[in-house]
Amino acid sequence: MPDRQHARVHALRDIQLFASHTPHVTLSESALACIAEVVTPRAYPAETLVVVEGELCEAAYFIIAGNVEVYRMSLQGRQQVLARLGPGQAFNTVPLFQGDGRNHASVIARTDVTLYALLREDFQHALYSCPDLALVILRDFADRLTHLTDLVEDLALRSVRGRLARFLLQQADGTAIAQKWTQDEMAAYLGTVRDMIGRSLRALTDERMIRLDRGRIVLLDRAALEAEAQN
Amino acid sequence: MVDPWALPEIDLAACTRCGQCVAQCPTQAVEMRAVGPVIVRPQDCTYCTLCEDVCPVGAIACAFEITWDVPTTG
Ligand code: SF4
Ligand code: SF4
Repeated sequence: MPDRQHARVHALRDIQLFASHTPHVTLSESALACIAEVVTPRAYPAETLVVVEGELCEAAYFIIAGNVEVYRMSLQGRQQVLARLGPGQAFNTVPLFQGDGRNHASVIARTDVTLYALLREDFQHALYSCPDLALVILRDFADRLTHLTDLVEDLALRSVRGRLARFLLQQADGTAIAQKWTQDEMAAYLGTVRDMIGRSLRALTDERMIRLDRGRIVLLDRAALEAEAQN
Repeated sequence: MVDPWALPEIDLAACTRCGQCVAQCPTQAVEMRAVGPVIVRPQDCTYCTLCEDVCPVGAIACAFEITWDVPTTG
């Protein structure tokens, strides 16, 4: 295997989407090699727009080095950061599957970043030639669909406080990938707005279910939070 | 690792120097300097997240770790 190809396969192994923990959907070496052949490395200096919301989706991206932010404009014209992504994470896979798929949000490089771009035509070609790539993508979509299905149920049945309580329990119990969350990110994840997250955090604090430290949300009362999560 | 003095992270490259964070900080912990807004009095910052809320370009991040209350050692 040529050096360049070898280096790409190596880098792709660190992409969470490909590094499955369930054995029957692990991406084979041949599939990784097939993706490595069609990705294009791209370097963006800090503060460059990588993807513009509403424009035609050109490619999916895998982050090799550096950090990006995914954001949308709120109705008030404020940039609402939906997610901060780093090495090993991917973005823009969903619109690639839509006929004239448009980017759902903008993505900006927050540091100098190196990405692997997988262009629309190459992506579809790779899906036909490596069925296990299709399988890992489907698994990722299934995870997202599960989250969205839960969210729809939550939106109908639970208050923001209830959703937040459930989310806090999941995070603190370590059932999700550990990360730090801003209030905008929590709002985007829970299908609400920042203001409601702020109010709910204050309410849970007043009722001594949580404590807000500098940079830490500390859970204090499991029974009360579990009861709250039902509401 | 718990950082007892976590501070809002200001991304100076993204900042447009609009001054909103400086104007709105309830404790005057942040000031405009030549480089841009700087938390000049970290001890006065209460991590209230207002600066993050008012920044129009998402240049300030006040992130929270979510944990159970565990007794700290040492
Ligand atoms: S978090 Fe609050 S106190 Fe700290 S700098 Fe921002 S506005 Fe000021
Ligand atoms: S509010 Fe945001 S853009 Fe305005 S000065 Fe502060 S950090 Fe910069």
